[in-house]
Amino acid sequence: MSTATTPVDTAPSDTRAPRAHLLRRLMANPLGGPAIVFLLFVAVVAVIGPFVAPNDPSATSLQNIFAPPGDGLVLGGDSAGRDIFSRLLVATSFSIAGGLLVAAVASAIGVTAGLVAGYFGGWVDTMGSWFTALTMSLPSIIVLIAARSVIGPSMWLTMAIFGVFISPVYYRVVYNSVRAVRNELYVDAARTSGLSTPRIIGRHILLAVRAPVILLTSGIIAAGIGMQAGFDFLGLGDPTIPTWGQMLNEGFYNINRSGLLVLWPSLALGLTLIALTLLGTALRDELEGTGDERAKKLPAWTPSQESDPLLTHGEPVPDPLLEVDGLAVAYEGKTYWTTVVHDARLRVARGKTHGLVGESGSGKSQTAFGILGLLPMGGRVVDGSIRFDGQELVGLSYDDMNKLRGHRIAYVPQEPMSNLDPAFTVGSQLTDPLVIVQGLSRAEARERAISLLGLVGIPDPQRTFDSYPHQLSGGMAQRVLIAGAVASHPDLLIADEPTTALDVTVQAEVLDLLRDLQQELGMAILIVTHNFGVVADLCDHVSVMRKGVIVETGAAEDVFREPKHPYTQSLFDAIPSGAPRAPLPGVTSSGDLGTGSLS
Amino acid sequence: MSRILKALAVGSAAALALTACSGSGDATGDATDTSSSSSTGGRADQLTIGAVVDIATWKAADAEWGNTATYHMAVYDTLLRTAADGTVEPGLAEEWSYNDDMTELTLELRDGVTFSDGTDLTAEVAAENVLRFRDGASSNTSNLSAVTDATAVDEDTLVLTLSQPDPALTTYLSQNSGLVAAASTFDAADAQTNPVGSGPYVLDADASTIGSSYTFTARDDYWDPEIQHYDTIVINYYADASALVNALRDNQVDIANTNSTTQIPDAEAAGYTINSLPINWKGLILADRAGSVNEALGDVKVRQAINYAIDREGLLQALESGYGEPTTQIFGTGTEAYLEELEDAYPYDPEKAKALLAEAGYPDGITVVMPQTAFVPASESELIAGVLAESGITVEYEQAGESFISDLLGGKWGMFAFGLNQEPMAWMTYQLALAPGSAWNVFHQPDETIESLAATMRLGGDDADAAAKEMNQYVVEQAMFAPFYRVLGVIVTNDATTVTMKDGQAVSNLWDIVPA
Amino acid sequence: MLKFVGKRLLAGIALVAALSVLTFFLLQTGSSDTARRIAGQSATEEAVAQVEARLGLDQPVMQQFLNWAGGALRGDFGVSWFNGQPVTDAVLSRISVTVSLAVGSVVLTALIGIVLGALAATRRGWLDRTVQFLGVLGQAIPGFLMALFLVIVFAIKLDWFPATGYTKPGDSVNEWLLSITLPVVALTIGSIGGVAQQVRGSMIDVLNRDFVRTLRSRGLPVRRIVFRHVLRNAAGPALSVLGLQFVILLGGAVIVEQLFSIPGLGPLALTSTSLGDIPIVMGIVIMTAIVVTIVNTLVDIAQAWLNPKVRLS
Repeated sequence: MSTATTPVDTAPSDTRAPRAHLLRRLMANPLGGPAIVFLLFVAVVAVIGPFVAPNDPSATSLQNIFAPPGDGLVLGGDSAGRDIFSRLLVATSFSIAGGLLVAAVASAIGVTAGLVAGYFGGWVDTMGSWFTALTMSLPSIIVLIAARSVIGPSMWLTMAIFGVFISPVYYRVVYNSVRAVRNELYVDAARTSGLSTPRIIGRHILLAVRAPVILLTSGIIAAGIGMQAGFDFLGLGDPTIPTWGQMLNEGFYNINRSGLLVLWPSLALGLTLIALTLLGTALRDELEGTGDERAKKLPAWTPSQESDPLLTHGEPVPDPLLEVDGLAVAYEGKTYWTTVVHDARLRVARGKTHGLVGESGSGKSQTAFGILGLLPMGGRVVDGSIRFDGQELVGLSYDDMNKLRGHRIAYVPQEPMSNLDPAFTVGSQLTDPLVIVQGLSRAEARERAISLLGLVGIPDPQRTFDSYPHQLSGGMAQRVLIAGAVASHPDLLIADEPTTALDVTVQAEVLDLLRDLQQELGMAILIVTHNFGVVADLCDHVSVMRKGVIVETGAAEDVFREPKHPYTQSLFDAIPSGAPRAPLPGVTSSGDLGTGSLS
Repeated sequence: MSRILKALAVGSAAALALTACSGSGDATGDATDTSSSSSTGGRADQLTIGAVVDIATWKAADAEWGNTATYHMAVYDTLLRTAADGTVEPGLAEEWSYNDDMTELTLELRDGVTFSDGTDLTAEVAAENVLRFRDGASSNTSNLSAVTDATAVDEDTLVLTLSQPDPALTTYLSQNSGLVAAASTFDAADAQTNPVGSGPYVLDADASTIGSSYTFTARDDYWDPEIQHYDTIVINYYADASALVNALRDNQVDIANTNSTTQIPDAEAAGYTINSLPINWKGLILADRAGSVNEALGDVKVRQAINYAIDREGLLQALESGYGEPTTQIFGTGTEAYLEELEDAYPYDPEKAKALLAEAGYPDGITVVMPQTAFVPASESELIAGVLAESGITVEYEQAGESFISDLLGGKWGMFAFGLNQEPMAWMTYQLALAPGSAWNVFHQPDETIESLAATMRLGGDDADAAAKEMNQYVVEQAMFAPFYRVLGVIVTNDATTVTMKDGQAVSNLWDIVPA
Repeated sequence: MLKFVGKRLLAGIALVAALSVLTFFLLQTGSSDTARRIAGQSATEEAVAQVEARLGLDQPVMQQFLNWAGGALRGDFGVSWFNGQPVTDAVLSRISVTVSLAVGSVVLTALIGIVLGALAATRRGWLDRTVQFLGVLGQAIPGFLMALFLVIVFAIKLDWFPATGYTKPGDSVNEWLLSITLPVVALTIGSIGGVAQQVRGSMIDVLNRDFVRTLRSRGLPVRRIVFRHVLRNAAGPALSVLGLQFVILLGGAVIVEQLFSIPGLGPLALTSTSLGDIPIVMGIVIMTAIVVTIVNTLVDIAQAWLNPKVRLS
């Protein structure tokens, strides 16, 4: 199950130091380190315990019943005069062995079946999902109790059955991982290049499922040990095998004669289970990068590169609506800052359209988010100033910023479908801000929303109002988002690649819509794009961004006519002639700017 | 003659498996203040009883006794009753008498007794009950083995015909053997869950959960209102020892049996009064005296060696915290068979045990297989094995499954650790554990000496007492058993409740539990 | 949607059927000498044979199964071999107790787990770490240890709740609540951690989705976004994990009931399996499976309902 992934759209996909060995990273983890040390200790005890136990763990003695510690009995004697210390050592062996048996059986069955079913599908797949459903239809303890009436009190068999019963946990994870990687390119490539099936599984898929399987195993071992303890505690276990559960059972039975009897097995069981669970948490943090990245206080951010001088065309815009100066945006890593915007400088004139162009990863979207105060988790404006209509936005609280967002500053995103909440109707998503933010009544908001939908050129506003996002086309969805953005008659509309995800014909319509709206509402637009066609079509001014720095700015026609910066020139060179509105191809080595996480 | 028998009859039946299931918790009376039906007028609202054994069936014909007696005494009457001190008293029968050769028992039934379904008690119904019990599934059916017939002479007169005298018969008729259920239950499909008796209370099925909690309400028109001390009685069954201890600590019950003497300190700390009396003996039953499962056990020297191998005082301290008394005889202290000198007939002596084994041809010791169950803490069986091992007797435990009792009584194991009721009458001990047909003579071996002594006991009188002593002597010499000790049965009561414990029975008479 | 529900129900029925076949034949392999144990040790061969005939044990196993299945289809699961109680009565009266414990703790788990998970996801920092750590502790400590601890503190020392026993809600709602509080809490503590973790994870996922940023850009307060949009979208995975928890809690209830002397499935399962009372064991397995299947189906339906794509198709 995936929890948080790296912040969307920021592209610092690997902000950590080069991947150290997993174990070393685990040891450094504040939870993982102590857990591993403790588990190693338990493992050592489990292995050597039976050999170093000072006494026979089953040897009874009438003299040593509830004997106090000392005199050859490190922890004293139990209710049958057995040496508690020796029993604890041997019980550790059996308890850990029980947990390992569960994990071994479960993983052997679950991983194998998951690999086969995931890779080949077919009847194994069907069987697997049936068996999974079967095991999920009963609590395992009921099964074990019922099984006991058939097989008798055998610790090994009981644990093995439990292992079979929870094997679907592995099965599902492995199955899903295999499914996910199966059709990925490298497997296809491997298949076509003539590698045999076992080698495909061995090479690629095992590698892919390794992490989740390791992750599960600590949990399964803990579940096995816990189940064994519960079973023994109920008196259903095999009384001849000393385990922590047996000792607990015995301790509780005699809790009034000697309270200490309960203490040792409780400690052993509790600490081991805690350590296993902590190890699991730490493992997940390290494997999935969900840990608390800010464990240590970072040193203050410092500029990491010299900015190129800004090449300007003509006079700067007087009395700009938006003025960005020396803006730097950085993300906190574990040990250092990742700076995505170094020196953004922008002046957006009132009522005009300003294009922000640059290739993928140049920091355009980050600049836009910075202005909106909506940087993804971990991102922060670390330097510079943003003045909106004379008001400094940097350092403004979220609530104060909210007084501008949704009123005077609005936002149109890049990917229309993912920017509508799939769980709510279009109407509900449009009216909610009108009611909550603008203070309209429900009825007014509804009326307004429908008229807005009409305004953005939706043919049947009422029907769209009642629709869910998945029922709309991409172009429709983008119109809905634009309607939402202009609902408050903003002074500034920030549009982040508003056409990139759309079909070419729809792109033109949306651009026309934006132009019409601008004229109608008299708002300023800051449009982030990698497409010079868009700029040519729409923009009064343009700024070119490269590696987090604005390198050139000026009136669109000036920049088009006479690009000064070599980077701007190279961008123009890359435009195929006669296709002004087509996406800009072939700038980066990957050869395609038009898809994916452009910024 | 019947007077003598009355004096002797101090009743109880084998607790059978229940004894083992409940650890050692069967308790009997400490006879502090006697007199049954010591009602002092006003009824209390409710009595909550904590039980350590559940009732398996309400069917009178299949009834067990021992720990489940409380349940039966709530809804059923018995033909006769026994007071806490063992005196046989009138029950449904007002009068009873034997013929001269003691082969015919005539019981005169009370008038005006009705069952809770409204039908009247008749001699015919009573006779049917006796026969059905004799032929039923109870483990005590052998108690009526001497009964050849039961007939209703008239509306109120019931006559039991016996093949031979049975000195404990009237006592047995005050227990499960004498339970009388309404005729409607005889072939009813729900007889196991829906009791219809003439007793002081009726089961409130709606307020009860089978296997957990049972509520009884007092009958308005009961013939003996003197013994109805409460409007409502609730019996809570505690399947788990910790649950019972927690119930005691939280004062959730007025009176309870305990699973084990280890619970005494808890009960005391919670303010309960401890009532105790030795009622069980615990030890090894050396059942395979013919050596059919384990050849060695066929040799009396081996059985004696086992007796010498046991550190009774040590085990008493270890297993019961000292609540009990070591003994080597199975007959109770109050019985005519009791002999002071048999308390320590086999002093702990591992060397002697080894020597006896060597004499019997086992110089390297012997190995015996014993069952181990979840009923008894594993530490207990380990400890017993440990003690025996010191004398060269190796115990191999076999895990007993669901058919434990069945296997046990079927003769699967040559010897096993168990607890048996310390019967209040020598004859009853004979019936329980020595007679060829008795359940706890597991291999059902007849023994000429025992049978001839029993024949004398059967007839009563001074000769019978002497025969009983002789039988005890013989059983100890033959080492048919290896008792460890008599263990205390404990009943705890709170301030609002007093109880008179009953001799030789795990639980007191229900009517001997009264508001304080 | 209807088609979806129908499919799920059919799958559930097939599952229960498969389970009953499996359980019946597996249980046969372990039982021995049943008739004699029922008839009593002193019973004659004749009496034993009668019992065998009455219970149908003299018939071939296949025929026994068909008899059982035939009855079960009509809702008649037979009677207990040992105390004659109808299986349906015995199991239903007890499963309702167990299910009320499990439902109680699922609800409590959901409330606490979702609040903690949501707080951890939105605040992060120390709160996040505390929630995670408490979750780990709760998960690691076995339920029965927790139960005993709760009894000692809250029932015996403070005397707020009864230490054992169960009051039917029909008798007194108040006392019923008191009697199930400690068992429910004991069960809940262990499951909060997992649910909180899952909610935290899926909420962080949702918080990172694009539409959250867009909603923020509309000037909506964070609270509104979290409670209306993020929770709703994170509800799917949370529901799944709660459905799983229900099964786990049902199992946990078995142990906890024994400790609290609560007349649920646990004690019945323990006694009936130790006796080899096959009709009761079958009843427990099948009815538990039915309950779980119903819950799983409800969860699936709720999942589907939460997703407009499925709901509207």
